Amino acid sequence: MVSEDVLRTHLQELRRGTVVVASLVALRRPDYGYALLQRLTDHGFPVDANTLYPLLRRLEDQGLLTSEWNTEESRPRKFYRTSDEGESMLTRLLDDLAAVQTSITGLIQGVDR
Amino acid sequence: MNTLTDRYLAATLRSVPAQRRDEIASELRASIDDMIEGRTDGGQDATTAERAVLTELGNPDVLAARYADRRLQLIGPTYYLVWLRLLKLLLSFIPALVGTIVAVVDVAEGQGFGAIGSGIVVALHVAVHIGFWLTLTFAIIERSQQNVDLPDWTVDQLPDVPAHRDISLADTIASVVMLVVTIAYLPFQHYRSWVHDTDGDNIPVLDPTLWSFWLPALIVVLLGSLVFEIVKYRVGSWNWALFGTKALLNLAFSVPLVWLALSDRLLNPALGERLSWLAEADNRNLLGLAIAVGTAAIVVWDLIDTGLKTRRQTA
Repeated sequence: MVSEDVLRTHLQELRRGTVVVASLVALRRPDYGYALLQRLTDHGFPVDANTLYPLLRRLEDQGLLTSEWNTEESRPRKFYRTSDEGESMLTRLLDDLAAVQTSITGLIQGVDR
Repeated sequence: MNTLTDRYLAATLRSVPAQRRDEIASELRASIDDMIEGRTDGGQDATTAERAVLTELGNPDVLAARYADRRLQLIGPTYYLVWLRLLKLLLSFIPALVGTIVAVVDVAEGQGFGAIGSGIVVALHVAVHIGFWLTLTFAIIERSQQNVDLPDWTVDQLPDVPAHRDISLADTIASVVMLVVTIAYLPFQHYRSWVHDTDGDNIPVLDPTLWSFWLPALIVVLLGSLVFEIVKYRVGSWNWALFGTKALLNLAFSVPLVWLALSDRLLNPALGERLSWLAEADNRNLLGLAIAVGTAAIVVWDLIDTGLKTRRQTA
């Protein structure tokens, strides 16, 4: 029986990088922090608020996201959108994710059980 | 306004870089309001929702560190091993060196054996200072943005596989300490013993006339034993040459001691004036015999023990 703690640690490690990929994909349609959090959760990417909000800022600092304040609604919100730079990096990341999936599949098939 | 949200924002923004504080404040406040709204829409009352949202966001210091991309560690994995190696290297000799120098200087100024105490105190101070300043330096390097170029590890740095040792460092240190204490006792008993004459002056335990030859000779033999222990540790295991040297050193120390004890020349005759039991020749002879037999027994047992070890380790 694998201990719950060990399992949780490995799942966390496995998921860590995918939050960035998921955010870059989701923000092809501009959105603000809380709405993005909800969309990611609905699509099977549960992420903590205290991780996502700082992450968005960091991706913006790296030039992968652009932002704009929207003041038309009930409260002013900062909308993020994936930049051209973010888009080209996303392509690379998705390629790599696919490569990982291919490698794993090949490995599973190649190993005699 | 002094709501929980205001307090949370203030606590978070306190340690966020100033130039982006306002923007983070507006964004975070909007996000918190959105999250609270999400919960009140689901039927929670506003106060409970606020508490739940802020609990979910967690410790404001951690959140601020994430915003500022700040490391939550004193010394991270990049520098930890270098820090540890330097710390060990510096602690291995500097405190002992400085402590010894201070003790020697104090002795030269005539402070006698109290100097050992001041040497130890200084050594401890030096050790604490080394630990503090080295750690502070590395913590600053950790926090400064530019990377310090550390030399890459190469296979040439691999240490030799430690040679198989039959003689442990702990045993060697114990022997050296015993020898140093014995050497120190010989002059010490001359100035400080538990016996005083009627004027309150110190009466040495050992006969002061022995200083003309025998006590210096015994000290030389003990110093020889000290060197022997170090050589033996370097060699790593017993061999017959080491056994022979050890036997010679043992005999060079014990034969004069036994002879002096049996011929009643070891103890200070002046002791008899204060300790009446020692005034009688029979008692003095009995004590001398006890010292002689005890010494002989220790030497014989040690030689047999060493001989067995040597035979086992050379086999």
